[in-house]
Amino acid sequence: MKQHQDITKDRELLLGLAEGDDKSLEIIYSENFPVVLRMILNHNGSEDDAKDIFQEAIIILYEKVQKDDFSLSSRLKTFLYSVCRHLWLKKVQRTYNMYSLSNELEEIIPVADELETHQAKDQEFQIMESALQNMGQPCQTILEDYYLHKRSMQEIAEKFGYTNAENAKNQKYKCLMRLKKLFFDRYKTL
Amino acid sequence: MKDDMILLHEIERYLTGEMSQAESIAFDELRRTNPLIDQQVAEHRLLLDQLESYGQRKSLQLKMNRIHEKLNIPVLTEQAEAENQKAKRLKIRRRTITNLAAAACIALVTSLSTIAVMQHDAKRKSTAQYEDVRRVLNNIQRSQNALINDINNKKRAPLNPGTYGGTGFAVSGNGYIVTNYHVVAGADSVYVQNNKGEAYKAVNIFEDISSDLAVLKIADSTFKSQPLPYSLKSQGLKLGEEVFTMGYPRDEIVYGKGYISAKTGFNGDTTAYQVSIPVNPGNSGAPLLDSRGDIVGIVTGKQTTSDGIAFAVKSAHLKRLLEEMPKDKQIKKDQLHKNHLDGLNRVDQIKKLEDFVYMIKVYN
Repeated sequence: MKQHQDITKDRELLLGLAEGDDKSLEIIYSENFPVVLRMILNHNGSEDDAKDIFQEAIIILYEKVQKDDFSLSSRLKTFLYSVCRHLWLKKVQRTYNMYSLSNELEEIIPVADELETHQAKDQEFQIMESALQNMGQPCQTILEDYYLHKRSMQEIAEKFGYTNAENAKNQKYKCLMRLKKLFFDRYKTL
Repeated sequence: MKDDMILLHEIERYLTGEMSQAESIAFDELRRTNPLIDQQVAEHRLLLDQLESYGQRKSLQLKMNRIHEKLNIPVLTEQAEAENQKAKRLKIRRRTITNLAAAACIALVTSLSTIAVMQHDAKRKSTAQYEDVRRVLNNIQRSQNALINDINNKKRAPLNPGTYGGTGFAVSGNGYIVTNYHVVAGADSVYVQNNKGEAYKAVNIFEDISSDLAVLKIADSTFKSQPLPYSLKSQGLKLGEEVFTMGYPRDEIVYGKGYISAKTGFNGDTTAYQVSIPVNPGNSGAPLLDSRGDIVGIVTGKQTTSDGIAFAVKSAHLKRLLEEMPKDKQIKKDQLHKNHLDGLNRVDQIKKLEDFVYMIKVYN
């Protein structure tokens, strides 16, 4: 019964996450972070390590729920814990070479596939991030404002002191071409 | 450049679905006919998608950081550490208990198996060390002897040489004979045969398994009673006192000489002596006599692990046994009190004795 309730609750939370509902995200975050924190601390990590690892796990979860065919085969808690454990293991292995986490009481599911998908996405993200950063101001802000924050050309023109929206549009065009070049230069070598 | 910008604007409109239906159809047509434009559309779509997911992830991280700041991290850390400590302690305790239990189990198994092995060993040792000296009769030897007996005397035992053989001696003039219980155990019929080859049928009338003694009575009308030359000594012998025995390890009577080497028998048995004397299979039930010619014991067995160590039941025990016999089987009391052997030399003693020492032949 409890298990069933948990699954129903998990499903609702995930739906909220997919739709970008802040409340769902907050519940998922605050309910699952302590367990992960405990695990990381137990294996010689710091609070910051716990934060990084946990947030990466949330991103993986987010990417997963964005897909239409998404379904969670285990409890949300188990999924997040397993992902975090896997990520942390990878990180410490990179640092100390041989290292294995001792077994724990928490349930663990295999998450290698998820991590692989995530790795590809993460690389794309890195490319986009560095491309945007390399463009410099004000290009980065103009593009972010227009494409991410969905501001109108008029607003952007006012914000950056262009005489009219047309000038701003010209600027945006130039910026976009540069971003395109920067992005695809690296994307194609992937 | 202007054219490019317009094209890009158009592509964006096309991708975001801002075009009217007619425009959209026209643009599709354009894509089909111009591969360059088609490629640009694909690239731009990819770029926009990437930009979009970049933006989503950025905003997600922003939101998460905001949530993270709201959490009370020091308190959570403290809790987590406390719980970890508790888990560790529990683990250590559990490991200790498991180890202790394992150790206890091993100790228990070890000690039990040691006891079992030792008991088994001890049992085997005692059976191995002690050996009855009754004889499994040899067919050929016996048949030769039977031929000789046939010539010498008409009185003879059945031609069948019997299964086992031992020695016995008379404890009364009228045909009571003492031997070992293990000689006559399980017998169908028992014959006694003296040194002259005269055989008589005997019946087992009394036995004492614990001291390994049996009393036989000759049940043969041809048997003639004669007075005994020796008496039954009831005092114990001293250590080192000289003794001798006469028995039938072969079909001939054999004399053996030795001394008392201990006042107790096998495994500290107080009803027996340890005697240093050569005995062989067939000596079971042979009389043990002291230098005066008194019966002091009955040879019962020997120790297999060392040579020359034999055991004999004390005569005092035999005397007690004879007194305990049922009334109707009682033997005449006074018969065992007169000694006619004292003062004679050994050769004469033996000569007088050999008529009263019998070979016991058991058929089963």
